[in-house]
Amino acid sequence: MKKTAKISDRALKLISQKQIKPIPRWKFIMKNWGLWLVLIVCLAFFILGSSLSWFGLADNIIFPHFWLFTLAIFFVLSFLIFEKTKKAYRYQKRLVVFSLLILGLIIGGLLFKTGLANRLDRGFESGFPGYRHLVPMKLETWNNPSQGYLSGKITKVNQDNFELEDFTGKIWIITGTPIIKGRQKLTEGTEIKLIGTRTGESDFTVQEIRPWSGRKSQ
Amino acid sequence: MANPQNCHDLSDNQLVALSIQDSQYFYCLMKRYEDKLGRYVSRFTYLDNDDIADIVQDSFINAYQHLNDCDCDLKFSSWLYRIVHNQTINFLKKNKQSQKIRIEDGDDEFVDWLVADTNIEKETIKKHQNDHLKVLLEQLKPDYKEVLTLKFFEDKDYREISDILQKPMGTVATLISRAKIQFKEIYEKDSKNQ
Repeated sequence: MKKTAKISDRALKLISQKQIKPIPRWKFIMKNWGLWLVLIVCLAFFILGSSLSWFGLADNIIFPHFWLFTLAIFFVLSFLIFEKTKKAYRYQKRLVVFSLLILGLIIGGLLFKTGLANRLDRGFESGFPGYRHLVPMKLETWNNPSQGYLSGKITKVNQDNFELEDFTGKIWIITGTPIIKGRQKLTEGTEIKLIGTRTGESDFTVQEIRPWSGRKSQ
Repeated sequence: MANPQNCHDLSDNQLVALSIQDSQYFYCLMKRYEDKLGRYVSRFTYLDNDDIADIVQDSFINAYQHLNDCDCDLKFSSWLYRIVHNQTINFLKKNKQSQKIRIEDGDDEFVDWLVADTNIEKETIKKHQNDHLKVLLEQLKPDYKEVLTLKFFEDKDYREISDILQKPMGTVATLISRAKIQFKEIYEKDSKNQ
């Protein structure tokens, strides 16, 4: 190879002529840290999706479509970003996929078991007005007056109480001075859900009122 | 200023650290590897010497710019081979050329490997050397060709091949094993046709 013997001379000359310098170390460090930071964020969303999917599927309170979608998207993103890290090539892809799945499902499951998923769901409902539209609650959860949950449409507003027709058609007399969430107005025709105590055959004392964002077709 | 004559006692990693401050030390590293890398590229491409020299030169420039990103957990040579490998693959893709595997006289270890476990007589294989053997080896998948080049002609161990090709060690072992199986199939098919 005639030309090979001169490669080092040519390369050195080029480095010198074009004043090529090594890229500063901090740029690589930043890039590397940035990658890991994005990976951690994706893993956090993956675990969040997992825990709320557990909550929806196991406790049957919400329709977890949104969280299942979040789980899937951030699982794929976590995998793709992990594959970009320096040493990722040393691990079999199927091992990485399996480990990520196990990690997400176990940690997500633990968060669900400790009740954090439930609290997160309520927190999102309070904090994000459109959340309940994305993650609707299941009807049967809110049609259980003996357990303190009731939902339906306001049919009549009186001075001291109002009447509510639940989704089975039963009329309830609602009393109490509740906390009203989500700037809900109590007018005829409005669909709401209530947390409180059943006090009679058709009487319910309400402590909290929220907008109805659930599904009726069960 | 570094004198290449004084570089022999310095390890690759020492030279990398010094090269960041003074490109003359990088000259020592280039001197140390230019022949090996040129030979490596010539082993798995059809490129002429000028193209090979350009690939190695571009790889050196690329390596110099990325010295601060050099992964010193692995051998510097593996890191450098990886850069050359990627540069070569990019060049081949850009010019729509395929990989090859070059067999030369004296590549006995490679022939021994072909013979082992394949039930093919060594003398039979030797009869095929070199031209016909080359034709048969050309039919191997590109993945097999590159892993064989590194294993038998560059004398790299599994860890180094894994670091150069950026594949898990288990995959490297599988590729080598499958290369042998595929070669046997190609050889037997060829024998029947003759």
